[in-house]
Amino acid sequence: MRTWWADTWLVMRRAMREGSAARSWRIVTGLLALVGLAVVVVPSLLGDDADPVRIGTIGEASTSVRGDVDAWAGSADIEVSWVTLDVEASPEEQVRQGEVDVALAPDATQIVTRSGLDPAVPTLLAQAVVGQETAALLADFGLSAEQVTALQQVQAPEQVEVGPARDPGRAFVGFMVGVALYLALLVVGIGVANAVALEKTNRIAEVLLTMLRPSQLLVGTVLGVATLGLVQLAAFALPAGVGIAVNDLLPDAGAALVDVALAITWFVLGLLLYTFAFAALAALVEKVSEVNSVTTPVSMVLVASYVVAVTAGAGAPQGAVATITSILPPTAPLVMPVRWASGLVPVWQLVLAMVLTVLASVAVAWLASRVYARGLVGTGRRQSLREVMRVG
Amino acid sequence: MLGLQNVTHRFGDRTALDDVDVVVRPGRLTGLLGPNGAGKTTLMRIAVGVLQPDAGSITFGGQPVTAQMRRAWGYMAQERGLYPAMPVGEQLVHFARLHGLPPQDAERRARVVLTELGLGERWKERTERLSGGQQQRLQLATALVHDPRVIVLDEPFNGLDPVGVAELADHLQARTRAGAIVVVSSHQLDLVQDLCDEIVMIDQGRSVLSGSVTDLRASVGTRRLRLSFARTPDPDWVTLLPGAQVVESHADAIRLALDGEVDPLAVLDAARGVAPVVDFGLELPSLSEVFMTAVGRGADTPVEEVTV
Repeated sequence: MRTWWADTWLVMRRAMREGSAARSWRIVTGLLALVGLAVVVVPSLLGDDADPVRIGTIGEASTSVRGDVDAWAGSADIEVSWVTLDVEASPEEQVRQGEVDVALAPDATQIVTRSGLDPAVPTLLAQAVVGQETAALLADFGLSAEQVTALQQVQAPEQVEVGPARDPGRAFVGFMVGVALYLALLVVGIGVANAVALEKTNRIAEVLLTMLRPSQLLVGTVLGVATLGLVQLAAFALPAGVGIAVNDLLPDAGAALVDVALAITWFVLGLLLYTFAFAALAALVEKVSEVNSVTTPVSMVLVASYVVAVTAGAGAPQGAVATITSILPPTAPLVMPVRWASGLVPVWQLVLAMVLTVLASVAVAWLASRVYARGLVGTGRRQSLREVMRVG
Repeated sequence: MLGLQNVTHRFGDRTALDDVDVVVRPGRLTGLLGPNGAGKTTLMRIAVGVLQPDAGSITFGGQPVTAQMRRAWGYMAQERGLYPAMPVGEQLVHFARLHGLPPQDAERRARVVLTELGLGERWKERTERLSGGQQQRLQLATALVHDPRVIVLDEPFNGLDPVGVAELADHLQARTRAGAIVVVSSHQLDLVQDLCDEIVMIDQGRSVLSGSVTDLRASVGTRRLRLSFARTPDPDWVTLLPGAQVVESHADAIRLALDGEVDPLAVLDAARGVAPVVDFGLELPSLSEVFMTAVGRGADTPVEEVTV
């Protein structure tokens, strides 16, 4: 068993060395790292949420209005700053000239707002003014200070917005994980197919098979190319992930971390399921140029899984289509990670999907190694799958 | 001793090999000969374990051959089995490791073999930058880097110029004299007749002849008399000679097949009577003539038609 791994490691190491020495691989990896960085850096450079909303008052704004607005804005995570306006100029003029975003008229009968401003701050300001004047009236009507405070603490019901996912931010990350998984599986699958076809067509495979078992050559090649793919994925994901964590862009970092760990697991499971199939089909070619056409069936399944993942998996995670395709292979490795990020998937479905994918992978790997071993040595013309399965 | 006994192999309905026997002894360079499509490559692939025979066995020293034993052999496939983008030295070390050498030995042996084959300066060069002949030598190096006891080479002379053929022949004969078991295949019968000690001829999946090259060439029972004239003689003179047939005829040169009882000197005298003879020689039949006789296509068939 040790020698099986030792020789498989030689095959894997060679594939990684040759692949990583290629200029194209280095350029693509570098670009991915830059894109990963840009995903985080560019929005925070363009971000406009840093400026506080400036509220202008003429004369000293009443302390209780200021206190109420500051308190409510604080709890809603909105930054405000207070500006004392010029008595001579009208509030309209000063808002129009951009001195402030919101202005409160001297007699508190008017709130002037810059057009396009988020309505939250003017609303808070209006509530504070109304609250203050109501309190004064209630005190005039003879209510005690406690009674006035009690009345003012009556609150409107909390409003809760509901989308297809529990947390839209997390669902978006899930969606991006789906896209990344699809691209990574496709790139690695085609990379494996090309490596196998190259080894077959220049008859290296024939020489290698005198020293190695087909399973060693198959597994070594798949692992080598997959590792290169994983490095590229990491080149993109690491800067993006670090940037997201540092800038605190995700409210629920714990769940996001679990999602990323699951995404890596699904990447490995997806590789098991898809790349062995890619390798087996590529072993049927006679010329390297036939790789694309011969691997079309697997690519089509992968594309279809991706389409289901980004439509049903993201759009209707609790629908029948998403539920079934996320549990059953071959769609599960792409649909489940996207659907999982909705936060609405029971754990048993995740576990079932993983178990079924592992079982399917074992079956595919077994079939693939038979096709691969026979396809590699059958030369002279392109072979059909049926013919390879029938012989022997 | 490497033995292939009663090997039969079918591709679907087509029988590629039909009950073929081959024995390769240490110290006797053995050629597997026959026209293209005869089944040589299939037989070699079975010997090295790439294909499984439908019937028959492969033995080494009387024992069935195992995958572990084969790993220590050297095999060179017909096409160029190299990684084009890999540097020469790294490539050779990789193959040495796969043949089971530990890392230090792999590198040391790789340098020795590359120097032997005249590629010592090319250690860091990408393989695809080598010339065709150099790549052929590198491929040979991948089969020899671990100093194998059994060397199996499929059409090693393909694409080599005469100098390359001579160098490879010297190299293989040296290995054979050192005690290795060497078997090469070729469709160029006359090219290897001076190289091989033993041959097995294959035609349409069957073994048609085997034995030592000298014995086989003598066993046909005829000899060849080659004559070159100073001027083109009247072509009719040959027809008057009993026991002599024309094998090849050009304007001023001719090759005659002489039956066993014919005196070559009498034929030479007759030739001198029709035109001045400037060169002559008495030879055994070439291997391709032996092959043609054996498969019943007749010694008069032009050689080129079958040894494509």
